[in-house]
Amino acid sequence: MSAHATEPIRYVDGLAKHYGSMGHPPYQWTINHDAPWTPLTRPLKKCRLTMLTSGGISLCSMPAFDPMARNDHRLDAIPLASGAGDFQIHDSYYDHRDADQDINCQFPIDRLRELEAAGEIGSLAPRFWSGFMGRIYNRSKVLTETGPAFAEELKKDGVDLLIAVPA
Amino acid sequence: MCLSTGRDLTEQVRPPRSVFVNFPMGNAFGAPFDIDMQMAVLRAVLACAVTSRVAGTLVDLPLAWPRLFAFEPGKSRM
Repeated sequence: MSAHATEPIRYVDGLAKHYGSMGHPPYQWTINHDAPWTPLTRPLKKCRLTMLTSGGISLCSMPAFDPMARNDHRLDAIPLASGAGDFQIHDSYYDHRDADQDINCQFPIDRLRELEAAGEIGSLAPRFWSGFMGRIYNRSKVLTETGPAFAEELKKDGVDLLIAVPA
Repeated sequence: MCLSTGRDLTEQVRPPRSVFVNFPMGNAFGAPFDIDMQMAVLRAVLACAVTSRVAGTLVDLPLAWPRLFAFEPGKSRM
């Protein structure tokens, strides 16, 4: 499943082939034919932002994520003031050696704080987020329980814009 | 707003607004300690959030990873 740097990797086909070769039935990927839409009603300089990673990233003071997790709906709130060196990554699904060195290449908390300090964005919410780690097969639980619960937490923090960074 | 390194996956899921960057999974914002690149990707994500007018927008960033890369499913990276 290699790819030239100018050609996007075809994850869907590659994973189907990989797991098919192990005798697994074809995975039923989520295919949405439309998307919800909430307009951004104020300029970026007045927006409150936060960020979500699904890359198995946790504070060192918290338990590590299970790198082989299945259906793990854990969601950690990460205090805004957390340092870039305060994190650990446990996820067998992707190569995180670069992010181990500098969390900002996958979860750019320092860059967001710099944009806030420069006034390019209005403010950052008091909490960043990490969870919904890969390989969640019970998707209906995300749609009916854990996703809506997360949305409520974002509302509590007055978030206008969420940057979601899947991995 | 979604920043994706998996274009085919994102096309299928159709988040409200997405930016695709053809970087390895795990390097969505670029290389470690490359502050300029990380900031450039982040600003592109924010620009997409501001300019998108249609649900399901997917913007391709004109950035290239400097080396060939691959994704090897099943290869353990604990």
